[in-house]
Parts: sequence; C-alpha cells; structure tokens
Amino acid sequence: MTDIKDASLLTPEPNKIRVLHVEDNEMDAELVAQALRKGGFSFSVAVVQTEAEFEQQLRLQSPDVVIADYNLPQWKGMEALDVLRRAGLDVPLILVSGALGDITAVECIKRGATDYVLKDGLARLPESIRRALDERRQLRLRRLAEEDLARKNEELARSNADLEQFAYVASHDLQEPLRMVAAYTQLLAERYQGRLDADADKFIGYAREGALRMQALVLDLLAFSRVGRCGATCGRVDCNAAVEEVLLSLGPAMQASGAVVTHAALPVVWADRSQMTQVFQNLIGNAIKFHGKEPPAISVQAEKAGEQWMFSVSDNGIGIAPEYAENIFVVFQRLHTRTEYPGNGIGLAVCKKIIEHCGGKIWVDAQAGHGSIFKFTLPAAAPIQEGCARS
Amino acid sequence: MKQVLIILLVDDNPADVDLARVALQKNLNRIRVESVGDGEAALAFLNHSGIHAEKPRPDLVILDLNLPKKDGRAVLAEVKTDTDLRTIPIVVFSTSRSMSDIGRSYELGANCYVSKPGNLNDYLSTVQSIERFWLGSASLPRKET
Amino acid sequence: MSSEELDILLVEDSPEDVDLALHTLEREKLANHIFVVRDGAEALDFIFCHGAFTHRSFEHPPKLVLLDLKLPKVDGMEVLKRIKSDPRTKTIPVVIMTSSKEERDLVASYNLGANSYIQKPVDFDQFRETVKTVGLYWLVINQPPVMEDQQHLAGLAHDRH
Repeated sequence: MTDIKDASLLTPEPNKIRVLHVEDNEMDAELVAQALRKGGFSFSVAVVQTEAEFEQQLRLQSPDVVIADYNLPQWKGMEALDVLRRAGLDVPLILVSGALGDITAVECIKRGATDYVLKDGLARLPESIRRALDERRQLRLRRLAEEDLARKNEELARSNADLEQFAYVASHDLQEPLRMVAAYTQLLAERYQGRLDADADKFIGYAREGALRMQALVLDLLAFSRVGRCGATCGRVDCNAAVEEVLLSLGPAMQASGAVVTHAALPVVWADRSQMTQVFQNLIGNAIKFHGKEPPAISVQAEKAGEQWMFSVSDNGIGIAPEYAENIFVVFQRLHTRTEYPGNGIGLAVCKKIIEHCGGKIWVDAQAGHGSIFKFTLPAAAPIQEGCARS
Repeated sequence: MKQVLIILLVDDNPADVDLARVALQKNLNRIRVESVGDGEAALAFLNHSGIHAEKPRPDLVILDLNLPKKDGRAVLAEVKTDTDLRTIPIVVFSTSRSMSDIGRSYELGANCYVSKPGNLNDYLSTVQSIERFWLGSASLPRKET
Repeated sequence: MSSEELDILLVEDSPEDVDLALHTLEREKLANHIFVVRDGAEALDFIFCHGAFTHRSFEHPPKLVLLDLKLPKVDGMEVLKRIKSDPRTKTIPVVIMTSSKEERDLVASYNLGANSYIQKPVDFDQFRETVKTVGLYWLVINQPPVMEDQQHLAGLAHDRH
C-alpha cells in the first residue's frame, strides 16, 4: 500500500479546520460561524474583505477551506479562486450567496468552485464542507499512490534493463575464456587419452563435459538476454517462411531421427521475424528431441480466435506429466537428466518471454507418455497500437 | 610448388596461435608458421625492421582484429595502402561477428573475413580450410629469392 | 531477376566453363542463386545497376563475383578496377578465375584489390575440384560484408550450438 508521509491524511480531524472567510458583512460572517459551530466543527476563522487581505492571510497560513460571499462590493467571491490558483493552492472554495440562479451556480462550479450554499440554507454548510474536505483527501491519497506506482515501475524497468545488460555482457565476455577451456580440454582428451592413468582420463572427461555445457549455457543465456522489447523490429511475419527456414536448419536432426514435420497454411502475424523463428525452432526442435520409440511426427497448425491467432505444435513424443506443465517454462528447469536428453532447459523460457512480450500466451496440453501439444497465441497482422500489444 | 610457404599469424592469444599450429602441423613439410602478438610487431615483421630484419616475406597473413599496441584494423590500413605489401593476402580471423567489424575489414582491404568458431573441431578445420584454399588452390604472387 | 540475395555473379564468356561451374556449384549445394553474364560490359551494368539492371540495388550485392580476365567488350581487369575503385562496390569479394598464367596479370589483379586469384586448371576433374573449393571457401567459410536488413539471418545461424 501507499507510504503515507502526510500525517494529516493518517489521522484526519475534520473537526479542527482553518477557515478563510471572504465576507464584508459582520452579521453574515457571524451566521456562517454559527452554522459551523452547530455542525460540530471546531475551527479557526479569518475574515477578509479585499483581495489584498485575502492574499495576506494566505501567506500567513494555508486554509483548509475558503468560504466566499458571491457578491462583494469591491471584489467578487469567485475571484478568490484565481488568487488560489495563482498561489498554487488546491483549497476547496464554497460560495455563499443570497440568491443564485441555477445557471450562474453551474457556471461557478464549472469555473472551479466546489459548491454553493444559500444564505438562508446555511444548515447545509457543514455537510458541504465535510464532503469537500473528504473529496480532497481522497484525491491526495490517490495521487500519492499513483506517484508511488510510477516510481516503482521506473525502478522495475531500470532493474530489468540492468539485468538484461548484465546477462548480455556476462555471457558475451564469458565466451572467450570458455572457448579456451573447451578447446584445450578436448585437445588434452584427444592427445593424452590412455597415455596418463585412468583417473586422468576421467578427470579430463569431466572437465571437458563441464566446459561444453558451459559454452551451451552461455549461448543460451545470450539468446535469452536478447529477447527484449520487440517494438522497433516488429513487422509482418509470414509464419510459413519462418517454419520453412527452421526445417532447413533442423535438417540433420530430422534426418537422424526420421522426423516428419507437416504444417497447415500458417498466417502472417505481427511480430519480430528472428524471434518468431526462434520460437518455432525451439518448439519443433524439442518435439524432435523428446521422441519416444517411434520416429517423431510433428504438426504445426494455426486457427483464428477473435483478433488473435492460436498456434499449436503437436507431437507424438514422450509427453509431459500435467503437474509439470507450468514448470517447464521456467528458465533452466529440466525434467530429465542430461544423459537422457541433452539441453539446458532454456528453450521454452525463451519462447515464453518472446510470446509474452508480443502480448500472447503460451502453454502446453500435457499428457505423460502420449505426446504434447504446445499452444501459443499472437496478435493478428495489424497492430492494435504501435509495436506489439502490451499485456 | 616446391618452396616452403610462409604463414604469418597475428594474434595476441598464444592459446589460439597454438591451436592454429595444431591445425597446420600435418603440413609442416610445405608450410612454415611464424607468429607475432601485436600489431606493431606485425608491421615490423612485414617491413623487415628491428628484430625482424631477417624475417622472410609471408605468403599469407592471418590477422586477428583485437590486438594490443596497434590493432588489426590499423595493420590492415597500413599494409593495404603500402604499394609493396598490399599484394599479400590478408585473412581476418576473429571471434567478432559484428557486422560493422566485418564491413570495416573489407573497407580497409581485407581479402576475406573468417569467424573463429567456438568449437574445437570446427576451429581446426577452418584453419585447415584457410590454408588449403590460399596455399593450395589460389595463386599467389611469386617472391624473389 | 529480383534484387534478393544473390550468391554468385559469374562473369565468364566460355559456355563450357559456365556449364561446368554451374553444374558443380549446384551439385555441391554451395550456391542457390547464381547469375551469369558473358562480357565485361554486362558485368559492369549488373554491378552498377545500369542498363538492363536498373531494378537492382547497391544494397543487395552478390556475395561473390567470379571474374574471368579475357572477356569481350570490356576486359576483366577493367571490370575489376571499376568495382574496386568505387566505394559503393569495392567491398564486394571478387575472385579472378582465369586461364592466364601471366605473372603480371596476377600481380596486377592483387594490386587492384582482387580478393583472390585462381588459375583455371585445364583438367576437367581438377576444374570441378577448384570450383568446389572456391565455392566452399567463399560462400561457406568466408563472411561477406552484409547489408543491415539481412542481419537477422546471420544472427540465427550463429546462435545455434
């Protein structure tokens, strides 16, 4: 909730108020004071007649409410509003008048008066003041909350940017020393295999595997950190072309597993081209990787759902137990050991980040052992606003 | 070609120099690998100056971009504007995949640009491909002596 | 021919050499888009987007130009000189492929900025091997200078382990 630093908002005491009264008639001033007392207010009041006196009082102390006679000989009550505005004070002004036509009353309120009360209806005055003060308090609270929210959003955005930059720099700079470790542990393995003792072979093997895994992790992190706001690079993406490109690059893996990938006519969407390709690459690549005994049979479809397209990538692989259906989208979360299936567990996290940045959702229809259907939604070709839709 | 061909490797990372030597070791009957670790030394080597006074003219230069003292770009600029040295083919061999580095290298006259692969086998075979193309298929200007 | 990604501009006037080169490159799956011109004038029109090629743009240069020296209309050396002296085209990789064994042609070519120089083998099989090696080196191993809008494709290729 809001941090409330203004004590007056914490323990409002509507009974103790400071009134600034613009009135030239002693009798009328006394009547108003009586009405306030009757209304249960404890208050202090300063009565002024001219603009100069009004300004002087404002300088001494900021009032909680201004009550002004509409018709003064020297100075119109409404002009007090202008003075208040000039001073940057947000104080409610209540007009008191003998007779005020409806039109004039509405005009006054349009111009900024909070309310008006007739001189022979002063019994209404306390309630009017209470309501005005309450409204003001609500407004102030809301404004504080908004400022707080804006500040927190800014901090969050900055922290996210820092994190993304950190991930990028870390993974970018890590690649060079990693390359050294990976290359030379492999050379060691090749050149000295069987020439040192059995332990040496094993140790070198572990070091080498660790290095290779680190290399893959760093590349994945780099890819993950690059999934930022797509705004500038979003455009019309033909998903058929994107899938064809992916199938080309997955060629060797498809051949090795005997995979068959079919796709229906896919639509054109509004997204970032290289990121969409990444999504298809990860989903289809996973479908090929996590196959069961039979060669993978994968199908990519899309159907229109309102203003969105819903894509599905279904396979006949090992499936996913329903209790893990959400877990798998978490970064580095894996369901199998590395000896069973290779990979770092970042592919689906990247997909989720990309899809959500475009205003869509991604999920899986999971059934252990019966294949999976991964589904995601995307806005259709025309953008709703500039860049991708924000969620 | 009976003469021994000379490759000058310009790279500040001794680990990468060693890897290149490993890649080329099968061909040491017909090639010789020289190496320097910074841009100034590269230019001194090519200009036969200082400690490199007796060094031979290389048939091929494999040049990294990020070097201490003078960097690869400066070496390229100087060599490719030198009337005597600019016919020597220079292969830029760098981990950088940035489009601006690639573009800039060509602007400065690099003969080609090859990215250093992250994977050992690819690295070795890439170096071998560079050697095979330039010292096997391509024709190079003949040297005196 | 649309101004999409062009792999090779083959500048060659001998029909047998053209056929052999095309056949080899296609069989080895080294290049998808190859355009052939038969003389130096056509080559210049193509590279400089003139004449019959005004629809072409400097933003989509070929990844490689294979250039013979002995050409009708404008000879290869002149074509090389024009390509390598114009800032819009000088970064295009140009590999001379010629039957000339003249040392002075070789030196002159490198001096003008030819990226490489290949003497065409007379032998049929060796010629094919050479085309294969050239294609492999310049289209697969080499990184050509790439224009801005094609960067996303390069990025994809690099991110795969």
